[in-house]
Amino acid sequence: MPIARYLVEGPSMEPAYRDGERLVVNRYAYRRKRPAIGDVVVLRDPDDSGRYLLKRIAKAPDGVDPGPSRVYVLGDNHNASRDSREFGLVPRKRIIGRVWFRY
Amino acid sequence: MSRQIITSLVSRGLRTVDHLAPPAVAHAHCDIPCGIYDPHHAQIAALSVLRMDQLIEALGELPSGASKADADKWHNSFARYVLVKEEHGELCKREIRVIWGDYFKPEHAEKYPELNTLVWNILKLAGKNRQEVNKPAAEELLGQVQRFAEIFWETKGVQSKRQPSNQAVGGELVVPA
Repeated sequence: MPIARYLVEGPSMEPAYRDGERLVVNRYAYRRKRPAIGDVVVLRDPDDSGRYLLKRIAKAPDGVDPGPSRVYVLGDNHNASRDSREFGLVPRKRIIGRVWFRY
Repeated sequence: MSRQIITSLVSRGLRTVDHLAPPAVAHAHCDIPCGIYDPHHAQIAALSVLRMDQLIEALGELPSGASKADADKWHNSFARYVLVKEEHGELCKREIRVIWGDYFKPEHAEKYPELNTLVWNILKLAGKNRQEVNKPAAEELLGQVQRFAEIFWETKGVQSKRQPSNQAVGGELVVPA
């Protein structure tokens, strides 16, 4: 399936995406192009493959090189989010897809 | 077709699909605990339960031979009071449960041997207050929640005091001194 449905749980991406909102994710978004800084994506939790996280692709800090196959992700509420500051760079193949629209 | 109509149709279709197969959860939780706890909401919830019992008492019996309009008004008020009592009984349980589960540590329970029983009593009492219109039970609930609040502030090394709620319900609130 090129799309997948997700239910947002928690406030770490507010105000862009709120708790309880439903999102459609484009799973083919990165077939031809790379994730860009600012994209909001659903990815598999690096610490728990059965769990999905909603994060935004961000610029890696100075001295951290993600290379072509990894990304740096952050929650929008930096003080309330577990993200690349904690679990580091994430392999691109763990990204499910890019958030397309809410419904 | 306008964009709005298409959006609405797509949304409706997807929600129908959601009913058949719920969407997966994308976690956007606060994974770092904020560490902010306060027994104030639990006390307000307990006071609200007591207030509803007072209002139900004041409502009295439905007068026999009341007109349809008066009977509707009476039933409507009664239903609202019961609904709010239900909600605040549950809210009280939730607030106490979160502080107990997330804030209190085993060493607190050691220092205050009554703590776990106190929480258990509050949960039971809140349930009783939902099941019944029972003012003494509501007053007892408020008393136990106040004691919980006192222990909470003591564990933070903060002196507390009891002060009038300054609300129609009367009663007292435990606040940092």
